[in-house]
Amino acid sequence: MSKKKISPQIVILLFSGLLFGFFLLLPMVTILAKSVYGSDGVTFEFYANLFAGGNIFQAFLNSVLISAASGIITTVLAFIPAYAVNYTNIHKRLKKIIAALVMLPMLLPTITYGFAIIYSLGKQGIITKILGRQIVDIYGTAGLIIGYVIYTLPISFMLINNTMGYIDKKFMIVSRIMGDSTLKTFVNTVITPLISTLAVSFIQSFTLSFTDYGIPAALAGNINLLSTRLYNEMLGSLPDFNTGSAVSILMLLPSVLSILLISCLNRYNIRYNKISVIELTKNRVRDWICGILSGIIILLVLSMFTVIFLVPFVEQYPYKMQLTVSHVTEIFTDHTLMNVYRNSLIVAFLTALLGSLLVYACALVSARRGEHRHYGKIPDTVSLITNTIPGMVLGVAYLLTFRGTFLQNTFAVLILCNIVHYFSSPYLMMKSSLEKLNASWETTARLMGDSWLKTVVRIITPNAIATLLEVFSYFFVNAMVTVSAVIFLASTKTMIITAKIKELQHFANFNEIFVLSILILSTNLAVKGLIRLFAAIRMKKGK
Amino acid sequence: MNLKRTLSATLCAAMAFTACAALTGCGGEASEQVIIYSNADDEAVESMKKTLDANGYKGKYVFQSFGTSELGGKMLAEGTDIEADVITMSSYYIESAQAEYSMFEDLTFTVDTTDSYPTYYAPFLANQGAILVNTDVLAESGLTAPTSVKDLANPEYAGYLSVVDIQGSSTAWLMIQSLISEYGEDGTKDILTEIYTNAGAHIEQSGSGPIKKVRAGEVAIGFGLRHQAIADKEEGLPVDFVDPAEGNFTLTESLAVVDKGESTNPIAMEMVQCIIENGRENLMTYYPVPLYEGENADSNAVSANAKTFPEPLTVELLEKHRNLSESCK
Repeated sequence: MSKKKISPQIVILLFSGLLFGFFLLLPMVTILAKSVYGSDGVTFEFYANLFAGGNIFQAFLNSVLISAASGIITTVLAFIPAYAVNYTNIHKRLKKIIAALVMLPMLLPTITYGFAIIYSLGKQGIITKILGRQIVDIYGTAGLIIGYVIYTLPISFMLINNTMGYIDKKFMIVSRIMGDSTLKTFVNTVITPLISTLAVSFIQSFTLSFTDYGIPAALAGNINLLSTRLYNEMLGSLPDFNTGSAVSILMLLPSVLSILLISCLNRYNIRYNKISVIELTKNRVRDWICGILSGIIILLVLSMFTVIFLVPFVEQYPYKMQLTVSHVTEIFTDHTLMNVYRNSLIVAFLTALLGSLLVYACALVSARRGEHRHYGKIPDTVSLITNTIPGMVLGVAYLLTFRGTFLQNTFAVLILCNIVHYFSSPYLMMKSSLEKLNASWETTARLMGDSWLKTVVRIITPNAIATLLEVFSYFFVNAMVTVSAVIFLASTKTMIITAKIKELQHFANFNEIFVLSILILSTNLAVKGLIRLFAAIRMKKGK
Repeated sequence: MNLKRTLSATLCAAMAFTACAALTGCGGEASEQVIIYSNADDEAVESMKKTLDANGYKGKYVFQSFGTSELGGKMLAEGTDIEADVITMSSYYIESAQAEYSMFEDLTFTVDTTDSYPTYYAPFLANQGAILVNTDVLAESGLTAPTSVKDLANPEYAGYLSVVDIQGSSTAWLMIQSLISEYGEDGTKDILTEIYTNAGAHIEQSGSGPIKKVRAGEVAIGFGLRHQAIADKEEGLPVDFVDPAEGNFTLTESLAVVDKGESTNPIAMEMVQCIIENGRENLMTYYPVPLYEGENADSNAVSANAKTFPEPLTVELLEKHRNLSESCK
């Protein structure tokens, strides 16, 4: 009955398969090979070296426990503002402000986080000075958890908030009419449909913390961590790519567990035929509590970043507090800077455009019901793997893999690296929102004679446009702020702004670092604003 | 309408991919300019640029700065495929890349150094180690400044000290060299163990860690690079330095030309020669350690107690010292 025709889903799968084959699998195989292949052929000596001290077990355990604790705290904290935005009668404008402020730290390069915390909560920190004493010892577990939570909260919020938007809240009324208790209603109509997203949020937050190097570099104290070990092996005083590769393979272990966990939780996914707009029950107490809690969370997080806006505008924080703009003018008179900034914009824009297309295509195959759905496991797995590869490893792997090829020192390699590096969160977000859309659309459309592609363009895309725009801005923003992987791939002609930040960090030049961070922040805000505007215009047209 | 939408989406995708391809194309084009990768501080880079410009090389080169670890990673991963024609980097790093890839050309001019160096690089500056102090924090906590590296092991400094971990950065090597040459390996073990206990949470992986913590007032005392403390002091920060009784040890940074066979840029070697022959005087205003015959140190700027480690500073020696340091943690 059906003609032998290559379906668009297959094309997508083949294309993305090729892409990930070349730009994820190949580099990772290179790393794997490095870890077992020395100058005398195949050997396990690098793993043996690694395990010899016993330190590595302690490091692994520390990394897992601290990242897991951060993952749980982050997910719980992110739930509160997401709930406030989606399930309360707080004023619409206030909701928008809450969402924007929770996400704000994402627009800054993570390189600044450690320093921001030291200058806020450290011995001479702003918060310490205001309170008159140091409230927490920031070097060690507490500091790491604070850093990780601040780092991953926006992403966790983004994931939860996105899924909540696609939950049909009418079921809350149904549940209440059925005589369920408040708690039962909450569990059945809010938590249950969110289970898999909450797990994803935990996993994302866990792996981001597990693989991050910047925060431990500033705050780990004498806690032994896997990521610090990785950095020292790969890029320390005596670089050893072989042992470093062995560490990075070890770091992939948690992703195996997360793949299992996610596939277990997938059956909890609920689809709604439509998302009804309902009047949420009036509950002033609930609104106030959620609003105030969200406010406190935002305040705590943002208070860490006040230094970024203070330091560059005084002469020498905290010793010479006279206001000055000399640090700002110093940066902007650097004539190479504008070039570097333009390069960053090119890379970020193309990463966002191509990344969104790829994510959307992959999510369409894996999230929408159809004959190819079982192949959706492929992008699922890819997303979990990309998530657990530390940027530094990805960067070094690309260096080793693409040295001497036409890709070396091009914008293309930077863009591809960014897309692979940041594939995970937007893909999971896209997928979970597509999953929430009515599953029968394709069937109905096919019965009416529309092709799959036509259905995607006519029906699915307009319904997913909000998430699609989120995905675009996620890629853009991250490409703007990322340091870890691309730092190795940028060349004289493709140098980007965060590489400049890294260079300044090397010389502990924080005034300039913060000026550049503010420049990146404003760029990201501008782009987000444009996207909002675009969405608003579209909405109006749609009506 | 829908057709339009489909069309525009397709067009968008097509345009993006073309753009990507175009970028690949233009990125690969060869350049006549000499590309210099450097991990050196701003002052050193500016000084080298000035020398090159004054000698007719203006516009014929591009400097690209990197952090030490990033440049190290690039060198060891890319070998001769590296974009750069000239590299300026810590000398022992250049040696280790040479051992791995034989990636540098022998110098074609004579290098008149006071110590002997391999034939494929020329040192252009030396960094000196020193004890850094935050005078405000010292006064607040009623501590007296240490006078030697050994003093850093005194229990009174516990919680007030920040040092570099030799695993993370070779800046730590300057401290370990001073201990070993004065107290031998066994003596060093005892002292270093105490120092690590005192530093506790402030054992830094980055070479600039201690100066950051001293400057921020997180600790009172650190071990780092002498010229960093001088710069902070000149800016009016409550930062000062102490030349330790064991002496100030040095690590050199060097220039080397990447061997790209046929396509090696001939001007690269000329530029290296130019920097070494004409640029040292200017460089010595920031990094006042004499390296070449006939150079005299300004007694105000350089420590009177500069010392060099009795053995050559090779990668093997660094590895040995790293293992010693690890056994003290």
